Amino acid sequence: MKFLVVLFGLLAVSSAEFCYNDVVRSCKQKAAVLLEDCHAKYGAIDAVLLNLQSYVNDHISLSFDYLLTSTHFGNHEKSREGFEKLFRKLSDSTWNDAIDLIQYITKRGGVMDFQARKTKAEPRNVYELYEIEALARGLDTQKTLAKSALAIHSEATRRCEGCHDPEVSSYLEEKFMHRQAEEVRKLAGYTSDLKRLLSENNQASLSLFLFDEYLQKAV
Amino acid sequence: MKIMQAIIFVIAAICAHSVTAELQCKLPAVEIPKRWITMAEPCTLKMRAQVQEELNAALTYMAMGAHFSRDTVNRPGFAKMFFESASEEREHAIKIISYLLMRGELTSDISTLIRNPEPLHERWDTGFEALTDALNLESNVTSKIRDIITVCENPSKEEDAFNDYHLVDYLSGDFLEEQYKGQKDLAHKLSILGKMLDNYGALGEFLFDKKLLYGELF
Repeated sequence: MKFLVVLFGLLAVSSAEFCYNDVVRSCKQKAAVLLEDCHAKYGAIDAVLLNLQSYVNDHISLSFDYLLTSTHFGNHEKSREGFEKLFRKLSDSTWNDAIDLIQYITKRGGVMDFQARKTKAEPRNVYELYEIEALARGLDTQKTLAKSALAIHSEATRRCEGCHDPEVSSYLEEKFMHRQAEEVRKLAGYTSDLKRLLSENNQASLSLFLFDEYLQKAV
Repeated sequence: MKIMQAIIFVIAAICAHSVTAELQCKLPAVEIPKRWITMAEPCTLKMRAQVQEELNAALTYMAMGAHFSRDTVNRPGFAKMFFESASEEREHAIKIISYLLMRGELTSDISTLIRNPEPLHERWDTGFEALTDALNLESNVTSKIRDIITVCENPSKEEDAFNDYHLVDYLSGDFLEEQYKGQKDLAHKLSILGKMLDNYGALGEFLFDKKLLYGELF
């Protein structure tokens, strides 16, 4: 009985050493050295890989979106340097987040696929927006990013077999969720401010100018 | 009774007004002279197309960075170099946009400026192959910039078409300078790597990658 227990114990331990077994095999035989199990994958990375890849692509697309909105506010007809700075900063941060996410995906043993999309991106035709429209779009898109992070987080829990991966959850929480909450709150605050300013009769031109001036300092 | 009705009517009118008041989002357009906007159309179109070119290059570099970050490839030096190049190409695109804004352009058709840039490839067999692709990419971008210069020097045979000295000067001084320096740098690295690979194969690429990582290659 004890012998069987020890035997099964050894078998369990040896069957966990996949990379080692590959190496031992490669050292003994003359065959193509593949070492297929010597990768960095463990936990639930496969379960969330497509979501993470799609999340990177969302960030890249939004980065260009924000750059175009910033360009619009930078032209001589709109002349809103504050809004230009705000959207340029959003563009820079989504671009850097994309690179960070790619480095995270590869850290966990995954690959990046620049064609991966969970939902087909809606093409946008109009970037020539008014100030409050642009703020509204900024708020909506930032909230979408935040909600996507929550969705990926919920995929890496114990809800399904082999899905539990707190490392993914912790990364998302630290690097994305808190910052996203602050950004969403800031944009919602700006929208509320602008709503009140634009509700007053005949004050829009000066209100927008002063609000834009405020943004130049606040951003 | 009538006074009550009158009061209710007045209150209802005030409520209706505040509920249906709209936001004054749109400001009337301001009429300003347009004579200062002098870029010729063929020149503007070329510059706009260059934004897309630079962003395609940026994404190709990002794909290279992603590839060399993989656990099975594991070349952190190459990855670091390519991620930095990606952000640099994006900065180039932003510089072109800033120039166009300075000249009074980009007041319309902004949605066509950037159309889903994509990387040219996503996988490379060796670091040498990726560096070769990078050098070819840079040569393409350089020849596109020289195209812009050619078009903007002689936009068309129309009356008011003129040699856009300032733009040509800006592209030659800023952009071409950086392109030529970047190309020399890549060619330099390719030669060093190529010679290391000749005798030492895998060890050559491994050592080269670490030199890239620690900035020991000039």
